[in-house]
Amino acid sequence: MTQSTPSTDADHYLRLARQEQQGRLTVYLGAAPGVGKTYRMLQDAARRQAEGVDVVVGVAETHGRSETALLLEPLSILPRHRVDHQGHALDEFDIDAAIARHPGLILVDELAHINAPGSRHPKRWQDVEELLAAGIDVATTVNIQHIESLNDVVAGFTHIRVRETVPDQILDDAELIIVDLPPDALIERLAAGKIYLPDTAGRALSNFFTPTKLAALRELALRFAARSVDRRLTDQLRTAGDEGDFVAGERLMVAVSPGKGGAQVVRHARRMADIFHAPWTAVVVESGRARAIVGAQREQLADNLALAASLGASLMTVAADHVGDALVDQARQLRASQIVIGKSRRSRWFEWRHGSIAQDVIRKAQGVAVHVVPLSDADERPDKPREAAFARDDVVAFAIVVATVALLRLAQPWLPFGAIDLLLLIPVILSATVLRLRAGLWSAVWAALCYNFFFIPPLHSLTIDDPQNVITFAVLALVAAVVGWLAGRIRRQAETSAGVARLNASLARFAGLMGGLSEKEETARVACREIGNLLDVEAVIVTIEDGDIVVRGNDAYRRIDMIDEAAVRWALEQGIATGRDTGTLNASDWQFHPLRTSLGTMGALGLARPSQERIIRPDDAVMLASLVDQAALAHERIVLEGQARQVDALRERDRLRGALLGSIAHDLRTPLTAVIAATEAITVEGAFADEIRIARSESRRLQRFLDDLLEASRIEHGAIEPRWESVDLTDIITDVLRALRQDEAGSRVTTRIDGDCPFVSSDPLLLRHVLINLIDNALKFSPVTTQVEVELLCRDGDVLCRVLDSGSGLPADTDALFDRFHRLEGSDRVGGSGLGLWIAKNFTEAVGGTITAGNRAGGGAMFEVILPGRPKDEAEGRAADA
Amino acid sequence: MHKDVLIVEDEPAIRRLLMGALDRTGLTYAEASTAAEALRLAAVQPHPLVALLDLGLPDRDGLEIIPQLVEAGLAVIILTARDATEEKVAALDLGADDFVTKPFDSAELLARIRSALRRKTGSRADPQRRAFEGGMIDREAHAVMIGGAAVALTPREFDLLWALCEKPGRVLTHRALLETVWGLAHRDDVDYLRVAIRALRKKVETDPSRPKLIINEPGVGYRLAGSAQRVA
Repeated sequence: MTQSTPSTDADHYLRLARQEQQGRLTVYLGAAPGVGKTYRMLQDAARRQAEGVDVVVGVAETHGRSETALLLEPLSILPRHRVDHQGHALDEFDIDAAIARHPGLILVDELAHINAPGSRHPKRWQDVEELLAAGIDVATTVNIQHIESLNDVVAGFTHIRVRETVPDQILDDAELIIVDLPPDALIERLAAGKIYLPDTAGRALSNFFTPTKLAALRELALRFAARSVDRRLTDQLRTAGDEGDFVAGERLMVAVSPGKGGAQVVRHARRMADIFHAPWTAVVVESGRARAIVGAQREQLADNLALAASLGASLMTVAADHVGDALVDQARQLRASQIVIGKSRRSRWFEWRHGSIAQDVIRKAQGVAVHVVPLSDADERPDKPREAAFARDDVVAFAIVVATVALLRLAQPWLPFGAIDLLLLIPVILSATVLRLRAGLWSAVWAALCYNFFFIPPLHSLTIDDPQNVITFAVLALVAAVVGWLAGRIRRQAETSAGVARLNASLARFAGLMGGLSEKEETARVACREIGNLLDVEAVIVTIEDGDIVVRGNDAYRRIDMIDEAAVRWALEQGIATGRDTGTLNASDWQFHPLRTSLGTMGALGLARPSQERIIRPDDAVMLASLVDQAALAHERIVLEGQARQVDALRERDRLRGALLGSIAHDLRTPLTAVIAATEAITVEGAFADEIRIARSESRRLQRFLDDLLEASRIEHGAIEPRWESVDLTDIITDVLRALRQDEAGSRVTTRIDGDCPFVSSDPLLLRHVLINLIDNALKFSPVTTQVEVELLCRDGDVLCRVLDSGSGLPADTDALFDRFHRLEGSDRVGGSGLGLWIAKNFTEAVGGTITAGNRAGGGAMFEVILPGRPKDEAEGRAADA
Repeated sequence: MHKDVLIVEDEPAIRRLLMGALDRTGLTYAEASTAAEALRLAAVQPHPLVALLDLGLPDRDGLEIIPQLVEAGLAVIILTARDATEEKVAALDLGADDFVTKPFDSAELLARIRSALRRKTGSRADPQRRAFEGGMIDREAHAVMIGGAAVALTPREFDLLWALCEKPGRVLTHRALLETVWGLAHRDDVDYLRVAIRALRKKVETDPSRPKLIINEPGVGYRLAGSAQRVA
């Protein structure tokens, strides 16, 4: 069982949330052509433009009316996009240009328009959805007869079924503006030739313009608008947290049947759901009999479900043997308060034999209202695609009976009379087992007739004398029926489980094949071959590599044309199936399924079939989904393996570099230690006093440089692992000042320390390094006569350590200071590796702190290290125990 | 006549520098470039008083011979890299007295050596009293004098100060101090130590925010600065 019902509340808030980022849709709704929707829309647009909104006309049909054309003049008009279709040049709305232009408001007339083949979307309302998703406000027009859920109703009284429909959902969040004109006025306008009607449909459409029909259409439009207003009010109430007298707890369930009638039932359910503001679920019961439905009916069922989904239903498929019970059960589980079900007008005889599902549901449903939608018989009449097979079965059954009878006739002299009726069971059982039930029953009839004709006196006549022979006849028929029924059931079960087993075996084989491959070209080739064989289609795998389309897997197709390419790109970008038989770019010859994985979309699987039938039969959809997943996983694995190899190589290189640096550092450090010790052993006096001083300071500088390089390489290798302990920053500051020889009297560093600062959990050596770098910098970059101040204070439980100097301050872009090898202008003079602040930042962050730089109000720079303090009472409390 | 210092260092250049520094201050020394040689020289009676031990020796890890040198009666000062915190703590826990980080400052190194020598050769005065810079602690009387005035310490603070004064100049690891003052159960509760040190500093330091008496060795432990002496 599958279900995709978000709760009403979640749905409600999702919709509101979506509205916030999306563009707003304004729909001018009219009861019939000619009421002035476009005119009104243009008037409003001119007003919006005067208010300063960037208004663009995407499509506006003036139909040659001059007053409407006049309104267009002040507005900027987006050029149409010319599409060639079978020699006709069609001007279509240019969605790419519209999105690129990104106006504040775009006018797209005629929401129900069907785009020329080859456009991105088959329907204009899909273009509008994309515009809204791009955050552009859209204004559009539509007539009431184009609304999907009202399609039947309108067709019912106008006898015209409109092909261009718009799903109700798109209007759900829209602002509806009803453009109303009384029927009489409208007919006057028609008479005055002010209403444009397309030539071909003109006569048919003029059927609309009778006062009764116009009144009915007008009522529909007004009711539709009223419902929309009502829903908006409810939305507002709910957002405000006030449920008001919202009809709570209503939930609809509609039973979807195959056949055209199913669509009618679905539309009816949608209208009811609208009235009740109720969520609704479309349920299909897959019973043994339902599984037997094939061909056109299966397609119709898929279409009915798609219609329900497009009208906002959540879909559910239930497997059960008894349809009525399953529906009632499901209604209970969904806590549905209303069940909508169709019922065809059938003969009593048919109902008595097959039972009526609707009757069944009505009888069993308790506490649930059941709405029965009457359907015409034609809508439900089962298709008979297997008529030929049935006829063949009947012939075979007849032949078996004839053969048996012939043999029995030959063998009759040697057979006891009583054995003949028993032996005649053989062809009946045979036919019933091997052939279909109907053939079994026919063979029973023929066997009984032959028995009567050839073996029962009076011979060669169909009269029965002996009542015992009547019983024989009846038994033969009964046996045939029972055996046939049982055999049929077993065969159906066997077929089902064989189908499942075949599916599983195919998938297992496919997964096994995919698992063994490690190269792109080969994987694509095997995947396409297998998928092609399993689904009886042509398959390719299309990827985009460095911006170019690459087609793999099928030597017969190495290239795809431009429409296909657009479909591939769409499938990859949007992550949805695109192309033939889908809602997007269905002029493409191929249907593309994105190969989605956790790493992103790996490419697209393209499927094609030379004939005009659907590429994917509804029965194969499950299998296709699994195959697409497997193919995607195989591609993902190849990418991951490649990455793993690369990572291994990188890691090895890093390891070598680390080892090299370590050994260089050691080899450099030892002699440097000797040099430093030696220069410091020499007393600074005599003729070479300056040289000694230079040697000392330069060797110290070399030392710092080496240290910085080593720390930087540790940071780069992610080798900084803090040794956490409780740290008193007073200790660190004292130690740093000692190391910098600024702890004696007359030092250049002044401290202001809050002695009650909490301890921090940190790494003392990393913090020491940070402070050494900051204080050393401050000493270097400020005049020797000035003081460097070090402050330790506590704020909001955090510990702040500030280093302030009276130098020339920092440039405006203080973030860049912390970059690697960043040096201030002129800092070569004082020397440094350009790594000091970068290291300070990395170490601070390694212990969970932050470091910032800025200028002091009175001149000079300020660096601030903020370390998260631990709760003071924790440390104190523990010490109190001590 | 015994030697003052045993230099254990495999780098000839560093060894010669150390020798030069010791020469200039008039201290006597023996030199070793391997662990084996060091152990042999430490066993010579009368043994040297202080060992300057580089941990990176060609034949053995310097850490391994610390217990034997201490056993032989030497005060051990290790030479180590600045960032080798774990090595320092391990050496101190094995019985080393002190450490000097490379690149070292000869003046500081000599001060450390002198301090260690003093601990080895100190006069046999009253074992219950110690003097330190700016004050004095008397274990028997349970009294501390700072700048001539008596200061009241809690028992823990007193124990802590005594532990530091008992071996002045020697680095005591966090763990060693915690074990001595709080007992084995609290050997890893560095927080106890931080709080007690802060409290103690407020009572014995002239400026607790720039402590000069109780010196922290980041990540390693504490030492008492200056030259605490047994009071005669």
